Amino acid sequence: MKSVLIVDDAMFMRYTLRKILEKNGFLVVGEAENGLLGAQKYGELLPDIVTMDITMPELNGIGAVQLIKQINPQANIVMISAMGQQHLVREAILAGASNFLVKPFSEERVVEVLNSI
Amino acid sequence: MDKSLSKEPMLEMFIFENLQLLEQLEQTILAHEKERCLENAVINEIFRIMHTIKGAAAMMMYDGISSLAHAIEDLFFYIREFHPDEMDYSKICDIVLEGIDFIKNEIGKLEQDQEADGDSSPFVENIGQYLLQIKEASRNSKLINEAAARPAGHRKKFYISTSKSPPTESIKRYHALIYFTPGCEMENIRAFNLVHKLKDQAEQIDYIPADIIENNDSVEFIRENGFAVIFSTHLQQEAINELFMKEAFIDSLDLRVMEDEEWEIEQLRARNQIVLEEEPSVRNNEVREIGANLHSGSTRQSLISVNVDKLDRLMDMVGELVISETMVAFNPDLRTAAKLDNFHKATRQHRKIINELQDIVMSIRMVPLSMTFQKMNRLVRDMSKKLKKNVELVIIGEETEVDKNIIEHLSDPIMHLIRNAIDHGVESPGKRASLGKPPAARVYLEAKNEGGDVYIIIRDDGAGLNKEKILERARARGLIQKPDSNLSDGEIYSTILLPGFSTCEEISEFSGRGVGMDVVLKNIEEVGGTVLVDSTPGQGTTISLKIPLTLAIINGMRVKVGNSIYILPITSIKESFKAKPDNIIVDPDGNEMLMVRGECYPVLRLHQKFQLKSALKKIAEGIIVIVQNDSGSICLFVDALLGEQQVVVKALPKFIGKIAGISACTLLGDGRACLIIDVANLINPSKG
Amino acid sequence: MSEILDEAVLQEEDTQKGKFLTFLVGKEEYGIEIKYVTEIIGGIQAITEIPDVPEYVKGIINLRGKIIPVMDVNLRFNKEARDYNDRTCIIVIDIDELSVGLIVDNVAEVISIADADIVPPPDVRSGFHNRYIKGIGKIGSEVKLILDCQRLLSTEELENLDYIN
Repeated sequence: MKSVLIVDDAMFMRYTLRKILEKNGFLVVGEAENGLLGAQKYGELLPDIVTMDITMPELNGIGAVQLIKQINPQANIVMISAMGQQHLVREAILAGASNFLVKPFSEERVVEVLNSI
Repeated sequence: MDKSLSKEPMLEMFIFENLQLLEQLEQTILAHEKERCLENAVINEIFRIMHTIKGAAAMMMYDGISSLAHAIEDLFFYIREFHPDEMDYSKICDIVLEGIDFIKNEIGKLEQDQEADGDSSPFVENIGQYLLQIKEASRNSKLINEAAARPAGHRKKFYISTSKSPPTESIKRYHALIYFTPGCEMENIRAFNLVHKLKDQAEQIDYIPADIIENNDSVEFIRENGFAVIFSTHLQQEAINELFMKEAFIDSLDLRVMEDEEWEIEQLRARNQIVLEEEPSVRNNEVREIGANLHSGSTRQSLISVNVDKLDRLMDMVGELVISETMVAFNPDLRTAAKLDNFHKATRQHRKIINELQDIVMSIRMVPLSMTFQKMNRLVRDMSKKLKKNVELVIIGEETEVDKNIIEHLSDPIMHLIRNAIDHGVESPGKRASLGKPPAARVYLEAKNEGGDVYIIIRDDGAGLNKEKILERARARGLIQKPDSNLSDGEIYSTILLPGFSTCEEISEFSGRGVGMDVVLKNIEEVGGTVLVDSTPGQGTTISLKIPLTLAIINGMRVKVGNSIYILPITSIKESFKAKPDNIIVDPDGNEMLMVRGECYPVLRLHQKFQLKSALKKIAEGIIVIVQNDSGSICLFVDALLGEQQVVVKALPKFIGKIAGISACTLLGDGRACLIIDVANLINPSKG
Repeated sequence: MSEILDEAVLQEEDTQKGKFLTFLVGKEEYGIEIKYVTEIIGGIQAITEIPDVPEYVKGIINLRGKIIPVMDVNLRFNKEARDYNDRTCIIVIDIDELSVGLIVDNVAEVISIADADIVPPPDVRSGFHNRYIKGIGKIGSEVKLILDCQRLLSTEELENLDYIN
C-alpha cells in the first residue's frame, strides 16, 4: 500500500482527497496546510507520494517541491493545480514534480495519476 | 464529483470551511476599507481566499459560486501583478463584499438542504466590466503584456539542440505520436512533462507543437493532432514504450523508429516553429511574496471541529460520573465499616480527578463571543452607509466566553439591538452637531463575566428613549394596567419588550414591524437569560442581556423543608445555626427579622415561600441559614441541613416556566428530582 | 438513499394515522393520537412538587435522567381530583420538543379510528365546555373524546385570558 502526504491549505480539499485516496487503497500518513509544513512533514514521514497544492501561504507548492527534492531527490510529488496555472505547473515540473492534476478532478483521475508513479 | 463518496460530511466540511474563509475575508475588508489603498498582503489574501473557494465550489459543481469567485480572483490577480494606478478602492471593496454576500447566501441555501442555484452572472459581468475599465486606464499610462494571465518575466529565446552527433549503431531515432486521455486538461503541460522526463534518456528532442510552454492554445492542437516528439536514444523500443505508457493520461502512443531522411525532414519541420524555453529558474519573488505572514496560517492554533452532539453527550456523562462518584464515596454500606482511611484517601483523589475532568469538559464548550461580535462590524458599516449616519462600533470584552449552545441564540438579538440603536437611537449628523454631540456616534458592544452570568451590553450615545411616547403607546395597546405613578422608569422602558409594541411611524428597511424587541426577549429567555432596558433622554439607551453560564455542576447543600428536599448552592451559604425564638423581631408589617452580631437580617421561611404544609414552623426546631450575594443577605428558615452534595444543574422543563425562588432542578442519588434554590431571587425578588 | 428513508417514514406515519391510545379520566374515555405518545409509565412514582404552578401541574419526575413535568388531566379539565391508585398511569407525550407526562386514571388500549368516524366536537352553545377536545371518535356504539394535545399543553397566558373571559 502506498503512503501519501496531502499538502493543501484548504481543509475541504484535504478532506476530499483523503476520502478518495483511502477509498482506493492508499494510506494517507499525514496532512499539511502550507508548503513549509509540507516539507517538514515530508522529512518526518518520508511518504511514497506527496500531493501538493500549488497556491498556498507561507511557502507555495513550487518552493515546497524544491525543499522536498533536497531531502530526497527521488521524491514523488503530484501537483494539484487550478485551470490557468500552466506556467506554475511548468515551474513545478522543472523543480522536480512527477505529474499533476487539474481541479476539479474526478476520483478516476486521482487514482490514475497516483498509480502511475 | 463522484457520488459514491458520501456527500454529507463533505458538504458539511465545504460549508464550514468556506463560511470561515468568508468571515475572515469580510473582517479584513472592513478593517482596511477606511485606508485609501490595499496593501499587498491584503490583495494576496483576497486572491488566495477566492482561489480556494473557487476550487472547492468547482469540485462540488456549484457553478454560480465558482464563477463568481473566479471573477474576483481574476480581478485581484490583475491588481496584484500590475498594480494599476487608477483604482476605485471603495468600488473594489463593494465588489468583494457583494461577492461575499452572494456566496454566503448560496451556502445558506445549502445549509437548508436546498440547491445552490443562484445566478452570479450579473456580478461576474459587472466585475469583468470593471476589470476591463482598469485595464484600459492602465493601458493608457503604461505598456502591458497582452497575455495578462501570465506573470511578467517570460522572454522568448531560441533553443538549439546541443547534440549534433550522427546516429551510431546503438543510438536510434524515434518518432512518437501521443494522444492524451480526453479531459485530463493542460495537455500542453503534460506534453512538457513528458519532454522533461525524456531529457534524461534521450537527446536531440524536438516536438510539435513547439510552443507548448508559452502558448496555451497549443492545447487544442495537441487534442486534435496529438503531440509529436522526435528524439534519439540508446534505449530499445520496448523501453521507450514503457517509459511513455507508464505516464498517466496517455490514451494512445504511436512509436516507431525513424530513417535518416525522415529524421532530418522532421527535425527541420520542428525547428521552423519558434521553440521557446525559459531557463529553469525559481520564481523567487512569487515564493517570497506569498510567504508574507497574514493572520491566518501559521498563527492559527491546532484546531479540530467536533460535532456538538458529541460534546453534549460528554457533558451528560461527566455529570453522571460526578453523581455516581458521590454514590460511591457516601454509600450507606460504608457506614458499618470501621477504619476507612485508605478508602477515603482514594476517593479524595478520585474526586480531584473528576473535578478536573469536569472543568476541562465545560471549558470545551465555551466559545468566545469574538466571531459573533465581529459580525456586527459589517452591519454597522452597511447601515451607516445607507442611513447616512456616522456610526462607530466599539467592541469591548469580545474574548468573553459563552457556551456554544447559547451563542447561536445571541446573534439575532444582538443584531436587532444594534439595528435599533442605529436606526432609532443615533441622530443624524446634522442633529448631533446642533446638539453639540461629537459627529461620530458610538455604539458600544460589551461583554463581561459577573458572578456566574455573562452580561452583553449594547449602549448607544444617541437620543435615548422617549418615556412619554412609550407610555402613551403602551396604554393605547392595553399593555399597562398600573397607574402611571406606580411605574418606575425601568418598568416603563421594559414595555417595549412586550409583543405588538412599536412607536416607529415608519417601518424602516432595517427594523421592520414591531416584532423586534419581544422576539429579542423571547430569544434571550429561551437560553435562560433576562433583558434590562435603561435610558437617559438625550444621552442614549442601554440594553443589557444577562445570560447564565452553561449547565454547571455545583456544590450544593441539601436542605429539608417538610417532605421536600431542596438544594442550596454552597457558594451562597455564609453560615448556619439554630436560632433562639427570642432573637426574632417582628416589624409592624409582620415581617420577621433576626439580629446576628449586630446586623439585622430579614427572615424568609421557606415553607411559606414554597407553600409546604408539613414543614416545621417553630423557629427553635429548625435551622437558620444565612445566604448572601452581591446585593445583600437574608436568613432562610429550613427544617434541617442534610449534607453536601455535588449536583448537576438541569434547567426546569420549559413547560413549567419561571418559578420565583427556584433557579433549576437536579436529580438526587436516590433518583428523585429536586429543586435548586435561586438565592439571588430570594434576596431581591424584583431582580434575578 | 434519503428517498427510501423518507418513504419509510411516510409509510410509518400512514400506518399510525388513525391510531389512538385510549384512557380513562374520571368516567370519560379519551383518546390521543399515538404519534404523540413516547411512553407509558405504569404507576405513580415520586413526584417532586413545584411551588407557584397551576394546580393541575403536579410537579416533576425523573424519567431515566430526563426531568419532565407531569400534569393531572382530571384537574386540567377542572374536575374533582381523584386519588391515585395502582391503576393510575402516566402517559408521556412529546410535542414540539416539549415532553409532558399526563396522569390518567387508567390506560385502555390502542384502537384505530378512521377519519370518517371522527366528527367535530359540539360547540359551546350545547353546553360542551371542554376546549381540549379536537373531535369525537365513534367506534361501534362507543364514543371516545379525541384530545387536542397542543391545547392541552398551551401556555398559561392563553389560559389566563380564557379565565378572564
